[in-house]
Amino acid sequence: MAKTSRIPYNIKIQKRLYYSRKLSILTTFSAIIIAFGVAGLFFTIIGLNPLEVYSYIGGVFASPTLLLESFKRAIPIGLAALGLSIAFKMNFWNIGAEGQMYMGMLASTGIVLLHVYYGLIPDYLVLSLMILAAFLTGGLWCCLPAFLKAKMKVNEILTTLMMNYVAMYLVDFLIYGPWRDPKGYGFPLSVPFPEYSKLTVMFGEFAYGGLLLLCLTAVIVFIILRYTKLGFELKIVGENIEIARYAGINLSKVVTVGGFIAGGIAGIGGLTIVSGIIGRLRPRASPGYGYTAIIVVLLSALNPWLIIPVSIFFGGLFVAGDILQATLRIPGAAVEMYQALIFLFIVIGEFMKRYKITITRGVVE
Amino acid sequence: MTELVSLKGIVKHFPGVLANDNVDFTLRRGEIHALLGENGAGKTTLMNILYGLYRPDSGEIYIEGRRVEISSPRDAIKLGVGMVHQNFKLIPSHTILENIILGLKEVGFIINYKKISEEIRKLAESYGWRINPNAYVWQLTAGEKQQVELLKLLYRDARILILDEPTSVLTPQECRILFQALKRMAREGKGIIFITHKLDEVFAISDRVTVMRKGRVVITKETSKTDMSELAQYMVGRPVLFSIQKERTQPSGEAIIIKNLKAFNDKGVLALKGVDLVVKKNEIVGVIGVTGNGQQELVEVIAGLRKAAEGSILIDGINIANSSPDRIIELGVAYIPPEPLKYSIAPNLTIVDNLFMKAYRYKPYSNGILINWKKIYKKADELIKNFQIISPSLSTKAKSLSGGNLQRLILARELSGLIGDKIPKLIVAAYPTKGLDIGATEFVHKTLIEYSRKGSGILFISEDIEEALMISDRVAVMHDGRIVGIFKPGEVDMEKIGLMMAGVQVVPAI
Amino acid sequence: MSIQWVEQVLQLTVQMGTVYLLASLGEIYAERSGVLNLGLEGMMIMGAATSFIFSIAYGHLPAIFIAAVVGALMGFILSILAVDMKLNQVIVGLALTLLGIGLSGFFTFPEIRKNILLKLNPSLPEEMLLTQQAEKLPEIPIPLFSNIPILGKMLFSHNVLVYFSLIFSILMWFILFKTRIGLTIRSVGENPSMADSLGVNVYMVRRATTIISGAFASLAGAYFFIGFHPFWREGVTAGRGFIALALVILATWSPLRAILGAYLFGGVETFQYRLQLFGLGAQSPYFLAMLPYIMTIITLIIISTESIKKKIGAPASLGIPYSREE
Repeated sequence: MAKTSRIPYNIKIQKRLYYSRKLSILTTFSAIIIAFGVAGLFFTIIGLNPLEVYSYIGGVFASPTLLLESFKRAIPIGLAALGLSIAFKMNFWNIGAEGQMYMGMLASTGIVLLHVYYGLIPDYLVLSLMILAAFLTGGLWCCLPAFLKAKMKVNEILTTLMMNYVAMYLVDFLIYGPWRDPKGYGFPLSVPFPEYSKLTVMFGEFAYGGLLLLCLTAVIVFIILRYTKLGFELKIVGENIEIARYAGINLSKVVTVGGFIAGGIAGIGGLTIVSGIIGRLRPRASPGYGYTAIIVVLLSALNPWLIIPVSIFFGGLFVAGDILQATLRIPGAAVEMYQALIFLFIVIGEFMKRYKITITRGVVE
Repeated sequence: MTELVSLKGIVKHFPGVLANDNVDFTLRRGEIHALLGENGAGKTTLMNILYGLYRPDSGEIYIEGRRVEISSPRDAIKLGVGMVHQNFKLIPSHTILENIILGLKEVGFIINYKKISEEIRKLAESYGWRINPNAYVWQLTAGEKQQVELLKLLYRDARILILDEPTSVLTPQECRILFQALKRMAREGKGIIFITHKLDEVFAISDRVTVMRKGRVVITKETSKTDMSELAQYMVGRPVLFSIQKERTQPSGEAIIIKNLKAFNDKGVLALKGVDLVVKKNEIVGVIGVTGNGQQELVEVIAGLRKAAEGSILIDGINIANSSPDRIIELGVAYIPPEPLKYSIAPNLTIVDNLFMKAYRYKPYSNGILINWKKIYKKADELIKNFQIISPSLSTKAKSLSGGNLQRLILARELSGLIGDKIPKLIVAAYPTKGLDIGATEFVHKTLIEYSRKGSGILFISEDIEEALMISDRVAVMHDGRIVGIFKPGEVDMEKIGLMMAGVQVVPAI
Repeated sequence: MSIQWVEQVLQLTVQMGTVYLLASLGEIYAERSGVLNLGLEGMMIMGAATSFIFSIAYGHLPAIFIAAVVGALMGFILSILAVDMKLNQVIVGLALTLLGIGLSGFFTFPEIRKNILLKLNPSLPEEMLLTQQAEKLPEIPIPLFSNIPILGKMLFSHNVLVYFSLIFSILMWFILFKTRIGLTIRSVGENPSMADSLGVNVYMVRRATTIISGAFASLAGAYFFIGFHPFWREGVTAGRGFIALALVILATWSPLRAILGAYLFGGVETFQYRLQLFGLGAQSPYFLAMLPYIMTIITLIIISTESIKKKIGAPASLGIPYSREE
């Protein structure tokens, strides 16, 4: 019955039962390289020289000053990603790290303003109170959708997304309104933060203090996930809600508490933007770190240790974006697009890892 | 006589399993052919190949003497092959009519509901079924759903009908209606393949029987030329003993008292309509009945996973109705749920995680905040040995375990006294042997009897009447959300049990 | 309040609501067949960007057509990832949204626009190359009907895409609930393995609906830009694709109810602009800008209450990839 005039190709897709770590690393790196290739194609189409663009991106990781700058950007990204790793562990699709960061910025700025305008807080307490406030506010911002999901099964993807916009506009409203610096020549900026409210008080350079904060948080997250009751509960809830109920786990409590910690850590990430990178609050202070954090955490497979280097890579991309904009007049969107492409190809790589694709030529009987 | 279907040398591998090993099978026009075998013998795989759901690795399929390739159900339906699966493939939120015409090009682009509805009604009446084609499927009983499944095939003029364990959800009375309809279809010249693992059904309905074991065909015979014990031997591969040694211990004190318990099912329909039941310590109470008469709801309410609408459940004088699951666990209730992979095993977590899914939060394994993994691993090693769980390591994912090993894992978690270092007061076991091979089934039976001797009260839900009679001290029959009779094994004959399962009161409830 | 004021508000409500209506129509088909298209926002913003560039280069109708093609293409990519590769639909949707937002960001830069426009149409005059805005789609009042008081302005004095959206809502409702194709789509979303066993090509149906949802999302973006607010800035759609996703739930997956829901959301946004004109929040429009998002959250909460959820219920296989031999 076979027609021999044309020898057909046979594509066979089989599920792999196991895959090696080597394969895993290989697919990740090929994803990054393919993303470069596709982005390059696009650059060529719109009339840019891709090699020139890439040399700028590579340059970021070769220059000590720019690398230090990348570390700075990595700090809010990494913190948000650490928060997300807790949320994703319990299968809570928190797309709201961006909004939780804005709430963290808002709360820490609030504390600074209380201090500067009303003198209510002594100098030495300001920074600690800022951290506390950022954690609480970010936590509450994530706690609400978590609670709604646990109690009423409200779709968390949509609520956290919507709350991003609410938080962003809330910051806009305050900074264009009551919180605008009266001495700021009408620019939408808060008063500059006093020195003792900045994260530079540690080690004199934000990048070092911030990295330390990031590593410490990674340790804490690791301990929570690995060695605590809550961590175990998060894991089971994430695996299967029916089974968690069967095991006698208080679902709404676990999801709400987990959501609170996740949002709180992202809130501290927001704090590092205003009190570390910028030194004051301004509108749109985050260029999408909260969304980048989603890519970072998925790339790191929820592993807190991997999150640190991966954040530094993405921090570097943001720095590269700024440089491209200043020198080649390429929009910062180039970085966003590139991030999205990496994300996309990593996800496709996930498929390649799970399945074995063989193409043979010949007639199959 | 031309053969309607002929399968030759069918081989099908699944990862790690040889599901069909060089299988030959034939079906004649106008015959009802029983395909008999234990769970996992490869019957359903073979039929899924004929129906195009699976592609065979090798082998040939002939329909009416013609060699055919069936690569999808679409091909099968074109060739006149139709299948009624064990779990009905119907859409509850659609009407009967919509379910029947789905996938039919002949109905035209715009659906003429009125005309088709009339056609379906007439077709159903010709087999003695009364249905309203515009009713929604979620409103139907199991028997009616099965009729819809068959109508789906008949409306498509299928000549080869495959039924996969069609009686498992039916009452004896509903079975009779089904058998009459099937015999009528056979008279019309259709060929019917009847998959089953129940011997009595083979003799009740089939013209020929094929027995499968471990992926191979053992024998094909005229049903009239064989008998039950011969078939049972072919099925199991050795003579079967239908009994178990059991020393009776004297029950003492109540493990659980259920009074007038009412509860709703997921659809908001009252599924428990006032259950009264007592299980004493040292006693096994079997609950039998057609699946879907409230058994699932009953065990879920006891485990705290479903709200009770009315009534009480007393354990040690404490009413646990509507308590949280963790409170009930702490009171010493062990629960072995049906369908482990859905309700009690997290397949992607390790064996240790699964073993300590409940005990992780109690002393000495946790101090309230942190978990003591050292103690957990030490205890887990011990449990693996005591319960004979075979696995490469404690960190192996649960999904790589076999069904029997999974059930041992659940028994280890529930029964070994991880919480408070005591044996459970009450063990609720729902269908604990479903889908297990004989060795694993024996292990479960032995373990339950051992614990009843140690003092636990056991509520044992089963759909296998023989099994329940064998290991229970008392047997309760459940019908339509009520216990309709309680008796000791041996007191009541099978005929009466059948009537009770259909809802007829025979012996007064104790 | 004069009658003109009421007419104007209603007209704006419908015009604003059409953005949501177009996007949710396609999404309803995708979700009815079991595919969650979370790339809606990305497809919408790409539709806006394409309509921006191509309306300058070639005029309105080609721009609308090309926008739909671009959206369909993105839908096609999503279908490969979500339907064929069976990847997590939330993740791939999000990836496509980020990609769309990133790509569209390029058009914010005048030099890049100039490069592209010159390639598309070398005869464009200099001032067209650098403009930030496009010509708005003309309104086509329907004779006689548009003179009816209130209703005339509300329903019969719009551009072609508004009429298109209304006609398609009715058409797509009819197809979904009264025809064989609709029955097939709904069944695939409820129980794909059953549909498969009856010979329905589940993958084909899901691919098709995903492509449709991409095309409609992109059309929504094109409408938003050239039909409603033709001034380009980065991130111009501002999460409206996500609001449309919530609207699909509010409409309980019915194209007819989507009309009401869309105009409700359109009304809230119009109301917010009107309040600004009255001087409320004039010094800071950002406070009112939160309104639609808060409204969406409240809507989500209300439709998630137990009593309502029982009546509607999402397609049973929504978001679950289908694979046969497992």
